[in-house]
Amino acid sequence: MRPELGSLTEHVVEFSRRLRARGVLCGPGETADALRALRAVNLVDREAFRLALRTTLPHRREDLAVFDALFDAYWGAQAGPEREGPQERPEAQPPVEASSLGAPSVRGWAEEDAEGEQEVPGYSPVEVLSRKDFSSFREDELDLIARMVVAIARRIATRWGRRRRRARRSHLLDMRRTLRLHLRWGGEFPELAFQRRKVRKHRVVLLCDVSGSMDVYSRFLIQFVYALQEALGRVESFVFSTSLTRVTEQLRSRPLRCALDRLSQAVPNWSGGTKIGTSLRQFLDRYGGLLDRHTVVLIVSDGWDTGEVEVLRRAMQEIRARAARVIWLNPLLGSPGYQPLTRGMQAALPYVHVFASAHNADSLKDLERVLARRRLGQATRRL
Amino acid sequence: MSRPTLGDVEQILAALAQEGYIADREIATAIYLSIELHKPLLVEGAAGVGKTEIAKVMARALDTDLIRLQCYEGLDVNTALYEWNYQKQMLRIRLEEGSGRSPEEKEQTIFSEPFLLRRPLLQAITHPRAPVLLVDEIDRVDEEFEAFLLELLSDWQITIPEIGTIRAQHVPYVVLTSNRTRELSDALRRRCLYLWIDYPSFEKELAIVLRKVPGISRQLAEQIAAFLHAVRALDLQKVPGVAETLDWSAALLRLHRDHLDREAVERTLGCLFKHHEDQRVARGPWLDRVLAVIADAQRDGQSLQAALDRLERLARG
Repeated sequence: MRPELGSLTEHVVEFSRRLRARGVLCGPGETADALRALRAVNLVDREAFRLALRTTLPHRREDLAVFDALFDAYWGAQAGPEREGPQERPEAQPPVEASSLGAPSVRGWAEEDAEGEQEVPGYSPVEVLSRKDFSSFREDELDLIARMVVAIARRIATRWGRRRRRARRSHLLDMRRTLRLHLRWGGEFPELAFQRRKVRKHRVVLLCDVSGSMDVYSRFLIQFVYALQEALGRVESFVFSTSLTRVTEQLRSRPLRCALDRLSQAVPNWSGGTKIGTSLRQFLDRYGGLLDRHTVVLIVSDGWDTGEVEVLRRAMQEIRARAARVIWLNPLLGSPGYQPLTRGMQAALPYVHVFASAHNADSLKDLERVLARRRLGQATRRL
Repeated sequence: MSRPTLGDVEQILAALAQEGYIADREIATAIYLSIELHKPLLVEGAAGVGKTEIAKVMARALDTDLIRLQCYEGLDVNTALYEWNYQKQMLRIRLEEGSGRSPEEKEQTIFSEPFLLRRPLLQAITHPRAPVLLVDEIDRVDEEFEAFLLELLSDWQITIPEIGTIRAQHVPYVVLTSNRTRELSDALRRRCLYLWIDYPSFEKELAIVLRKVPGISRQLAEQIAAFLHAVRALDLQKVPGVAETLDWSAALLRLHRDHLDREAVERTLGCLFKHHEDQRVARGPWLDRVLAVIADAQRDGQSLQAALDRLERLARG
């Protein structure tokens, strides 16, 4: 078996390389583990060989399927490795070009004043009523809103941390320090030392609907996202219509005008139709790692979904299970007579902690007040 | 550093079987390699598939102690690593009143090892023999604690400001479990070998029921395993795991049932279905169809695989 072991090593290295090319988390460390594992099992036993590689190379469930497929392709039905053509790389993402239709509506915002409204797409039944709120925004109001957004952002994004710091008064005794003080004075407790838990920031994931039915709000929304990202360090921003785009980087540009420029180039399908469910699913698949028990997910959308309702429901269920809190801001909610009856909204509502309107300054103030009352309470709120 | 090992995969399978754990080769290989390569084993899978059991069995098979760190949100170093024994410290201060020792001397005394409360991680490090350290539900702690744990798993040493650095005498065998409520960091994953445990197959579940529920008839055990097979194909809030299967089997046995019928299932529904909505689904007409398929298959001695396939289709349709 000796002479073969050398070629086996080469094949295991090549196999790991191909796994990596398919997105499996697997580097030289894993390859070394695999080779050590192969020394420990009976190599004549094909199943033992397969399981040794399967235990050492992939590290997540998603990668197991990739492993299984590649294992059969690479090592073949027999134990001997099989010849394969030059390794095919996963196609690089084609550079995203700004859609000729969508771009101007974004690019325009920086210059355009509030009068330059967009057409509301036909399938939204509440067009006229809801538009009114936004056309009435003036510059000074926008300032006010930006300030409010910052206050809201702070409410959303803080939580009690694990680490403690010294404090003059609090309900947490710092026993270690108290005892030391005690020793110094040699008698009764002369002084109690306190500690306070540090306030830590939540991560915020922002998913913003920029589809056609949301067009009239877009100017406001992007400002909201921009302000939120500026106020908090840990915001990840995404926009979606029929598909999802990560825009955290673009929105980091200063000033706003510059950010909008970059944004318009990055988002391929601005103001298209809406596939909320598909977009959220994309988010979970590609960026699901961002979600944990300290992540607040903020979805801004009117809930008009042209895709499968079941896809949306399942995506919402998963987001709810994995995030600390799910907040849905619906700009239409403030319109008189609007009921959240769209099928998409209906499917999503059970998984939302806070459902609030975001159509004008007052509604934002209400939201801020509710968030102030409870720091990450559990109850579901409707505003 | 000498570590006892378990021989090869076959021996581990035997050891597991001896301990009452029905394992397949995948699980045995993962345990074996985790011991051979001295690497932590990350076990993922739905709740109730026997992730925690792996560590227990591993400890029994290696004839060493199991030290368990149950994770929860807000778990801190004081609970996971060590804490000072304040009562004992205060008593000592009282005893030494008037002894004339300087405060510095006293301080050195009360912040020394005898006044340390060892929490699981410190216990694992200072254990006289390499123990099995089970870090249960690692996905519940925050990123900060995960980073701390990662450091510990690499260096096997901890620093206590008042005492200094304590290094592990024997590197523990580590099993980490996760229910995937949160994505673990890539760094932690790459530190570990990986094992995914799925719900058991019909054959495996049947073997588990027969072994773990003494006195159960083969007929009933087969019906239970087939029923669970059908249940897991349903769209449920909470899919029952093996623990639920065993509870349910025990309950049916207590009620002196030798076969499944609607009345028996309805009376014991709470063992399997922990959500009101799930119970509603299970109570529906679906139940009669499933029971009919199972009864037919057993009476006619028809191919079990065909029946299982029919059960899965029933759940979907």
